[in-house]
Amino acid sequence: MKLFPNLILSGTLLAVALGAPIQPAQADPARDAIIAQFKAQAGVSSFSAARGKKFFHAKHAGGKPETPSCTTCHTNDPRNFGKTRVGKVIDPMAVSRNPQRFTDPKKVAKWFRRNCKTVLGRECTAQEKGDILTYLSSI
Amino acid sequence: MDDAEMQLTFPMPTNRTTIANKPMPSTDRNMTTRPVWDLFIRSFHWLLVTAITIGAVTGFILGPTWLRMHLIAGTIAVVLVVARIIWGFSGGSFARFAGFVAGPRETLRHLAELRRASAPRHVGHNPAGGWMILFLLGMILLLAITGTTVLGGVFKTGPLGFAVSYDLGSAVNKVHKLLAWGLLGLIALHIAGAIYESLRTRENLPLTMITGRKQARPGDHLPPSRAAHPRSAALIMLAGGALGTAIGLALAQKPVPHLPITPLDPTYAQECGDCHIPFHPSLMSAQRWRMLMASLDSHFGEDASLDEETRKKLEDWMVAHAAETVDTKPAHVFAQANPENPISLTATPFWKTTHKAIPDKVFKSKPVFARTNCAACHKDAETGMFYPSNIEIPAEAQK
Repeated sequence: MKLFPNLILSGTLLAVALGAPIQPAQADPARDAIIAQFKAQAGVSSFSAARGKKFFHAKHAGGKPETPSCTTCHTNDPRNFGKTRVGKVIDPMAVSRNPQRFTDPKKVAKWFRRNCKTVLGRECTAQEKGDILTYLSSI
Repeated sequence: MDDAEMQLTFPMPTNRTTIANKPMPSTDRNMTTRPVWDLFIRSFHWLLVTAITIGAVTGFILGPTWLRMHLIAGTIAVVLVVARIIWGFSGGSFARFAGFVAGPRETLRHLAELRRASAPRHVGHNPAGGWMILFLLGMILLLAITGTTVLGGVFKTGPLGFAVSYDLGSAVNKVHKLLAWGLLGLIALHIAGAIYESLRTRENLPLTMITGRKQARPGDHLPPSRAAHPRSAALIMLAGGALGTAIGLALAQKPVPHLPITPLDPTYAQECGDCHIPFHPSLMSAQRWRMLMASLDSHFGEDASLDEETRKKLEDWMVAHAAETVDTKPAHVFAQANPENPISLTATPFWKTTHKAIPDKVFKSKPVFARTNCAACHKDAETGMFYPSNIEIPAEAQK
């Protein structure tokens, strides 16, 4: 191989490597659609990341005693890896660390249903879900 | 092997035996000796001692996690015994079965003479010792046959994996253990016999199994002289070894029926594997899987509910590959459920018994974290096989 094409190839790779982290992790039409649906269900025009943060870190009553909070499994920092009660690693919840988060509506519905029942003993409201997603998308 | 040494075993030059007429302290430096145990016999004896010791320690004390070492020791023991049997028909005077296997009448007479303290000194095996050799060799062969049957039936591997059911393998395991105790008993008698004969004839017999030489005394009872054929013996051993290995490998390649399904259904692996290791469907019966899948909204203290379509799809797959469809050890031992918690594996009597010795801190350690995390130590947990050699408790968990 000649020197010239090699230079072009290296330059392209360098550009890709440098460019990759600049791309905004947050923007995703599928996630936007999920949040938009929660807005419609809750009848509000915006969600609050601060309220979502408070809810995420709060100790709740009404659920199983072993799991009083989202942080029981997801840890106090959603950018960290979490752990299920039997030790399986959970990928970070923060979208900045895990761009795949909240892009599959079925998965979002399944885990809100399961975990709200386990932690709060009831389903979460559209308002609560929207706040949490907004919080986890913001960090 | 040294040809010359073996052909010289007998007879000794008569002009040198006169020294043996003197009263003889066994330390006499001028004592004439003759070669008795050839290099093959001595190597065979001590290698077999090593192999049987490893087999006994791994089998009786260290337990199933040492299965691989146990199998290696057993295989070596069988190879040695088979080679010894070949040498028993091709070796020199003292190696030949024909030289030391006595008929019942001669054996009884020898025992009676021992009781009357008038028994002659046998330079090779005496009639009682000769029978002991046959019993030891036979016992080791029986252990190998039963061991291979257990390996095939219980662990679904080895030359008999294709042919033996778990139930048969499990029953033969009891026989294998009895035979192992029997072998220990024979070894105890063998050692006792060697000590007795050492004292009776005032010669250190265990030492002669190292030097190969025994004192030459007048009146010694010698076996008929025979030439050794080390080259033909080696040829037969090599040919037999090659044939045995080929047959064993060919049999081990045969497909084993009723093995657990592999790989796991991708949806199953993902949906169940999100929270815990995906337990292999062959670990529980269809009935217990149905019970479990009917109560997902309250699944060991958590809501693990699924949409009905996925739930039904997974249940059908689990039932289709449940314990009834395989013949593995885990499928059989976990079949006995704990009536108080039938859908739990860690609550079963077998799980509790086999994990009793493991300290609590191991289960609470970081790499293990929970009793249900089988794969932390059982490297093949997801295959449903749980082969004992694949157990490895993480070093970090033992601190």
